[in-house]
Amino acid sequence: MHAVSSRRPHRGPIRALAAVLGLALAIVLAACTPSSPQSTEKPLRALAVGATLEPASMDPWHNTAASIPQVLLYNVYETLVKVDTNGEIKPLLAQAWEVSADRRVYTFHLNPAAKFASGAPVDAAAVVANITRLKGDTRLTETLRAQLAVVAGAQASGNNQVQITLLRPSTMWLYDMSSTLGMMLDPSATGDLNTTSAGSGPYAVKAHNQGQSVVLAANTAYWGNPPRFDEVTFRYFTDPNAMNAAMLGGDLDVISNLQAPDALSQFADTTQFTTISGTTNGEVVLGVNHDNKALAKLEVRQALTRAIDRRALLDTVWNGQGTLIGSMAVPTDPWYEDLSATNAYDPDAAKALLKEAGYSSGLSLRLRVPVVPYAVKSAQFVASQLRDVGVKVTIEELDFTRWLDEVFTKGDYDMTIVAHVEARDLGKFANPKYYWHYGDEKFAALYDAADQAPTEEQADAGMKAAVRYLADDAAAIWLFALPNLVITKATISGVAQNATTLSFDLTTITSR
Amino acid sequence: MKRAQLLTGLVLVALVVLTAVVAVFWTPFDPIRVVPGQRLLGPGWPHVLGTDGFGIDIASRLMVGARTVLLVGIISVGLSAVVGVPLGLLAGQAGGWVDEVVMRLADIVYAFPALLLAILLASVFGASTLTAMAAIGVATIPAFARVARAGTLEVMASDFVLAARASGTSRWGIARRHVLPNIAPLIGVQASVGFAMAILAEAALSYLGLATPRPNPTWGNMLRDAQQFLFVAPLQALWPGLAIALAVLGFNLLGDGLRDYLDPRLREVP
Repeated sequence: MHAVSSRRPHRGPIRALAAVLGLALAIVLAACTPSSPQSTEKPLRALAVGATLEPASMDPWHNTAASIPQVLLYNVYETLVKVDTNGEIKPLLAQAWEVSADRRVYTFHLNPAAKFASGAPVDAAAVVANITRLKGDTRLTETLRAQLAVVAGAQASGNNQVQITLLRPSTMWLYDMSSTLGMMLDPSATGDLNTTSAGSGPYAVKAHNQGQSVVLAANTAYWGNPPRFDEVTFRYFTDPNAMNAAMLGGDLDVISNLQAPDALSQFADTTQFTTISGTTNGEVVLGVNHDNKALAKLEVRQALTRAIDRRALLDTVWNGQGTLIGSMAVPTDPWYEDLSATNAYDPDAAKALLKEAGYSSGLSLRLRVPVVPYAVKSAQFVASQLRDVGVKVTIEELDFTRWLDEVFTKGDYDMTIVAHVEARDLGKFANPKYYWHYGDEKFAALYDAADQAPTEEQADAGMKAAVRYLADDAAAIWLFALPNLVITKATISGVAQNATTLSFDLTTITSR
Repeated sequence: MKRAQLLTGLVLVALVVLTAVVAVFWTPFDPIRVVPGQRLLGPGWPHVLGTDGFGIDIASRLMVGARTVLLVGIISVGLSAVVGVPLGLLAGQAGGWVDEVVMRLADIVYAFPALLLAILLASVFGASTLTAMAAIGVATIPAFARVARAGTLEVMASDFVLAARASGTSRWGIARRHVLPNIAPLIGVQASVGFAMAILAEAALSYLGLATPRPNPTWGNMLRDAQQFLFVAPLQALWPGLAIALAVLGFNLLGDGLRDYLDPRLREVP
């Protein structure tokens, strides 16, 4: 349009007007047009999934980004046990397992049919090799290292039977094993794990097109139910509107999680689209750096919590979709209770608390957020409400890779906003090295006691107390829990309603 | 016709300047304070242009945006003129290898995309109004250098410069007394056109998140925020788009009009 109008012979104002309007319109319309031409020749059974954050590599052991297990978990790498859509632990590579009376020894009976894509069996030796490899890996992510700390060792007690011994009983351990920690890698793998894969799952990584997509191809020799698609493509969109446009244009079969809830009405036509609304494990945490002198004070953290109207925030930034939580637990957790009334919204109380802490004359904080829709929008809301109580907030937006490096790894921030999507992840607060630098020993003691509790009931009660302690201590500010808003073409079915794991589980999805 | 063009440009530019000046002292509503429960209101009263996704008055944000645009325009155009014009003068007067070196350097800067420079500056210093000004300013230096050089060459070839040289006036004196006053109109036109470019560049940069950070409003980031509501509240995108279009149009018309007005060869015979 712009090119055409500038070729016209007219001089002067009309040309200038056309050019200027053309440019302005081009900016506006950039959002409405599909970002790439539609591919017409797809393979026989293909699935295109739209997602937000692109994984930096295909190596979940040395990179903490949740976007990696989103693609790989259960699809490419399998675990001994798996969490189903109701949040319950189910067999996968292990057909059955037993726990010793002192809850320290787990005996897994492996499925004899299970084998890696290379053809090698997933036997006891392979599981032992995996545990040993992780134990000896010095570059392992901090999260996995903390989860692995409880494991004393593994040994084969038969060809398909493996015993894993813990240093102490742990409620969380088996859950952790259902996620990244439990991913079984083919011990004979020699390829570069940044770009290739060596798992036992129904799919294998075929290509990682940096900046665009990850392509999975069916593992034709899969040991379980044969995969239902020949090729699955995860396409990444930093702009949620571009993803919506791609869906409307027919380029995508599934939007894995809608990032523009205001646009939900675009997909109202049920003959074309199915909208699935459920829950996720994603707590949107306004994290505070406890190494900061001001933020180390309880009064300041309480004041910040009280200054933010979280109900209004949810309504404003996420169109009211989602749940208010108030602490590090989501409704699908057995120890969940609604703690959003703890340190409830009260700007006057917030001002009083700030005064008490010695910051009545003002406080300046840097809010460094990754460029993801929920974080960027929440940041603006938070900055406005904190300004009302006299806290000056400077927002800095960082792309996700840079955020991981500077905020998450190096701890260079005062406040940040990110969703923690791992299941049952309150234990992160017990790790003083984690990027919040929350070194509260009382919480760590509460958490450890709950984790080691002799019965499930006691464990749940202990976790409940720990979760409540976090809320009372305002260890962070919990803005809301992300909803699971999945859009699929009407021909697609089987997408789980609740995202209970990190995985976008392809094994249940079918296409008509 | 020519007069109308100049006049339209003047009116539009005056409108932007006036809005920006008023915004320094007063806006109808707080331009950054979020008001939950008032989001996405249509045009009406008291929110003349409605409210955005945060419940903030759009008109107030547009006014503050005008302030930012004007500031970025003045500083970046000022920067490129202050650096570019002396360089062009030097190249035009000295000629020879000095001319070659200066102009090839200008070509190099010209070939370097402003966007890349903006990304570089934003990633080193953090995106801010300042980095946007610097990126736009540096990127437009060659344009000023070229205009100044071309003007200088023309003036240097004239008889009165020859006379001045014969009477022993120094190079500096010639530049100051003869060249600069004669190329001033050219520079003025270039500044006006450059201003339009700067507005568009600033809008593009802040649209991409490489200029003024949130929550401070700019026309570009208003456009970016409006994008997500295109199907729910399409007017959101219209206002900042219109503001950018009219401001750019205004400065372009002013530039064109000035050129025609100042160039006797293009002057219309009454």
